[in-house]
Amino acid sequence: MDSRHVVGGAGPVVPGRAALEVSPLPSRCGIRARGEISEITRPSWERALTELSRHHEGVSCVELSEVAFVDVAGVTALAVTAMNLPGGKVVVKYPPPQLPRVLEMFWPGLERIEVTPR
Amino acid sequence: MTTVSTHEAFVHPALFYRSEQEYTRQTVSFLREGLAHDEPMAVAVPGPNLEVIRAGLGADTEGILFLDMTEAGRNPGRIIPHVLRGFADAHPERRVRIIGEPIWAGRSDVEYPACAQHEALINAAFEGRAATILCPYDETRLHPEVITDARVTHPAVIHGDGRREVSGVYDWQAVVARYNQPLAPAPDAAVFPYGGEDLPAARQFAVSQAARLGLAGERLTDAELAVAELTTNSVVHGGGRGTLAVWAEQGQLVCEVRDAGRLSDPLAGRRPPELGQLGGRGLILVHYVADLVRLHTTGDGTTVRFYLSL
Repeated sequence: MDSRHVVGGAGPVVPGRAALEVSPLPSRCGIRARGEISEITRPSWERALTELSRHHEGVSCVELSEVAFVDVAGVTALAVTAMNLPGGKVVVKYPPPQLPRVLEMFWPGLERIEVTPR
Repeated sequence: MTTVSTHEAFVHPALFYRSEQEYTRQTVSFLREGLAHDEPMAVAVPGPNLEVIRAGLGADTEGILFLDMTEAGRNPGRIIPHVLRGFADAHPERRVRIIGEPIWAGRSDVEYPACAQHEALINAAFEGRAATILCPYDETRLHPEVITDARVTHPAVIHGDGRREVSGVYDWQAVVARYNQPLAPAPDAAVFPYGGEDLPAARQFAVSQAARLGLAGERLTDAELAVAELTTNSVVHGGGRGTLAVWAEQGQLVCEVRDAGRLSDPLAGRRPPELGQLGGRGLILVHYVADLVRLHTTGDGTTVRFYLSL
């Protein structure tokens, strides 16, 4: 994957407006997102997750240190993507607090996702 | 008088008790019957009553799940998906037996309509399922109207002395309708009207107001998530716009969303989702995180209010 290519971009991130940029990680299998994951940006997020599962081998990384918010549907898309992988796992790095909260609520003990807290 | 059949798929009697002795005798005999049939059993009642049941059972408590209903069922809207279906779905091949006491003397007037609707909706949520759910009511401490409602929300009644009767006024839909009551706007609320473009701003408004009123930490995350779900519902299903209001009353933070949507499914937000299911978790999340959810829906629109203790 070309590291400069924006997988599911929805325009530049402007404070106060919902936007999401997703790009592949340069050095490993995975993606980095920036912005917020909500109703408005969900199509970009879901496209990025489809790409992620297509390139998945063993361990994929989802880097979310610059994501300010993720809603239930956004966490659902990630959880369902991880559950449908043929094997391995997804390491979610530095997610916003909603992600572990929603995972714990609806998918307690989901082994396919490993969260590295902020 | 007709006795309550144990062969019906779903059996849902109310127990009207007048003393600790009656409570112990009836709940323990209910559980011993379950032990005799090797049924998976759960007891979700207020803490002090848990102890009464435990003491009455003596050595037979092994394998029974005990939950303090004032915590697990603080929000009555959480009891069906989290406590009752949560337990029943964990034993899909077996008949389950549960004692659920969601209404106790300390329930407030704001909570009660949601409690009565919850009791009514158990009938819809468990229709055709192999389950026996006994709901104790403290006849000496609860308002007579609560006991009257319990006869409408339960097909059968067991009295403290063991007498059993079929309720002649059973009509759970009537209770759901009666407690679908208008929610008057709060005079001192901070208000934010929103459309589709404003969802992030609506969420941020809720967070800043909630923080100003004293909510912090994980509870603030919960409020943000719940507001995001309700405002997104307005935009997607509720006419494209709505009004968010935030205020504090009686030591609780209240967030309210009004929109033009209509909630026609009475069990919306009360069915536990399948693991791989894509949608349908929004209202369940609101029920899971909140201490109380009140709802009013008509053909003209819907108001959902959730409460978080400060």
